[in-house]
Amino acid sequence: MRRLPWAFSIVILLGVMLIVPYALAAPQPIGFAAPDRISQQQQTEAVSDETCLACHSNPALEKKLYNGESWSLYVNPEDHANSVHGEEELDCVQCHTDFDQKHNENPVQFPGFNAVDRRDASLKLVKVCQQCHTEQHENALDSVHGRALETGNVNAAICTDCHGSHTVQRLNDPATGQLTQEARLWIPQTCAKCHSTIHAQYTDSVHGAALTDGNPDVPTCIDCHGVHNIGDPTTAEFRLKSPEMCAKCHTDPAIMDKYGISTQVLNTYVADFHGSTVTLFEKQSPDAETNKPVCYDCHGVHDIAAADDPQKGLLVKENILKRCQVCHPTATENFSDAWLSHYIPSPDKYPLVYYVNVFYAIFIPGVLIPMAILVALDVSSVARRKLRAKKNQPRPPAAEPADAKPTGKESSHD
Amino acid sequence: MSGETSARAVNSAAPATRTVQVVRFFARFTREQRWEHWLLFGSFTVLFLTGIVQKYRNEPWSQNILSTPERLELVQNIHHIAAIVLTLEVIYHLARGIYLLARRKMPHAIFPDWQDVKDAGRMSKYLLFLTKKTPKYGKYNFEQKLTYWFLFFSIGLMVITGFIIWFPIQVTSVLPGSIVPAAKLTHSTEAIVAGVFVLIWHLFHVVFDRLNLSMFTGRLNEDDMRKYHAAEFERLTGEPADTPDQGGQA
Repeated sequence: MRRLPWAFSIVILLGVMLIVPYALAAPQPIGFAAPDRISQQQQTEAVSDETCLACHSNPALEKKLYNGESWSLYVNPEDHANSVHGEEELDCVQCHTDFDQKHNENPVQFPGFNAVDRRDASLKLVKVCQQCHTEQHENALDSVHGRALETGNVNAAICTDCHGSHTVQRLNDPATGQLTQEARLWIPQTCAKCHSTIHAQYTDSVHGAALTDGNPDVPTCIDCHGVHNIGDPTTAEFRLKSPEMCAKCHTDPAIMDKYGISTQVLNTYVADFHGSTVTLFEKQSPDAETNKPVCYDCHGVHDIAAADDPQKGLLVKENILKRCQVCHPTATENFSDAWLSHYIPSPDKYPLVYYVNVFYAIFIPGVLIPMAILVALDVSSVARRKLRAKKNQPRPPAAEPADAKPTGKESSHD
Repeated sequence: MSGETSARAVNSAAPATRTVQVVRFFARFTREQRWEHWLLFGSFTVLFLTGIVQKYRNEPWSQNILSTPERLELVQNIHHIAAIVLTLEVIYHLARGIYLLARRKMPHAIFPDWQDVKDAGRMSKYLLFLTKKTPKYGKYNFEQKLTYWFLFFSIGLMVITGFIIWFPIQVTSVLPGSIVPAAKLTHSTEAIVAGVFVLIWHLFHVVFDRLNLSMFTGRLNEDDMRKYHAAEFERLTGEPADTPDQGGQA
């Protein structure tokens, strides 16, 4: 029995020697570690694209998921070659860092991932993107899509839903860093995959129609909604901020002058009833609910029409009246003229307002200046008579009875 | 005013040998007129303060006050309540005027006439030291008439334009739409004109030039009547106003 502890400690030592390497390796098995150059190179040496494509270029290659669905494991080599990642000569394992030699030797025993269903498979595989595109990933976490996903809506858009997986395309012009016109055309189509009703409205709108005609100035979905950090457009905050959003382009003469559109739309909105209140709340209580209209309440949200559109434009009196009646149901025909329609009053547009302004421009100085002169004269007169009265004090009061009284209240002017 | 006169008497009097001094007072405003002034004063002040906050809502100081929809609504409600008070006062004032006109009892004293132009000319001469004599004024001098009629039309305009922008839907069912922005501009600009007028012109004349509390007391003493409303004094008493012996003083 005395030898037993010694033998026991040998067993423990052996056990520790066996377990420690595994324990140290333990944080790795998830396999989505940030790709540093060395590991990429090691893997590249270990697993070339040819190795992967030996199996994955087989269109019939698929995997049974837990729910019985099959998941195609086929990768078209052309897709990858034509993608931005192919162009940059990225290898399979630079994204798919969890597929290693073991998978290569025994793909059935080491499948790399397992999933309940197809969506689950996508959600698992999409995590590879954030290895390089950290900023976009973090922005997306805060977006409506990210939050929907977090609260259990698995259908919320993830990277690959918009960008595709092996077919991912270059969107920015490398020279300017700006979106290419081609990419701008893809954006509404991409969003339309889920938001098809809105897309239909957009394509009929003044912006959407111009985009299809190749106009480089009109906004696509992301110009208003953002790219990865797409906010919730139904909040009070979004609503109060929205005039600024439209104003980004609509106050820029470099864009608007081409189309003869006024850049005074924000000024004139802010100066009038609705806009002044919206601007006030936007600054002071950005999450306040207000029933005051913002740009899109009159001009439309996705179905924005040009003001001079003969059918839908707001310059058509019935059209603008209809908008007024949304909030002012009893409004009649003349009511819509109570809104200056972004015009700055002139002898042609809103002459009544213009001439009221002219009247006060003359009337105010015409009244205030003579008034100020009279008051100033009065003050100086009182002061000077007071001074004179002091000088005259020693004299007999009979000499100048009106001025001799030292009471300081000489002005007979009430 | 009576206090001032007695104080003067005490200062200049040789004790025990003075005769008793009698201060005569002259009625100037009726109790109803003084009530009207209080209503006007109260509603005008509230309207002016709650109005400029709304007018300058692009300025930071105003935005700190109107920071939430609830606060904006509160300020607007106060403005509307004061507006109703002022409107009722205006209606009463006009109705009384019409009643007096109909009975041919309207006093002519407040209406401007040619004498006011002459008085204004003579007063300007006096202020420029071209003459030593001030004009002999009636019950209301030209400055007081100007104050009344300026505010009469200012407030009238404010009431009319105020209701136009308060009830734009009802107004535009009868009148053209551009009346609303024109009324808004008028209301907002006329308010400043009226406010500045009261602050500079009216306040200067009744407080700084000489403290004239007759709108609150309803009366003026003999001294002030002789000095500031000589013609009215002569008309009422039949005595000459410019006697050097004012109220028993040398």
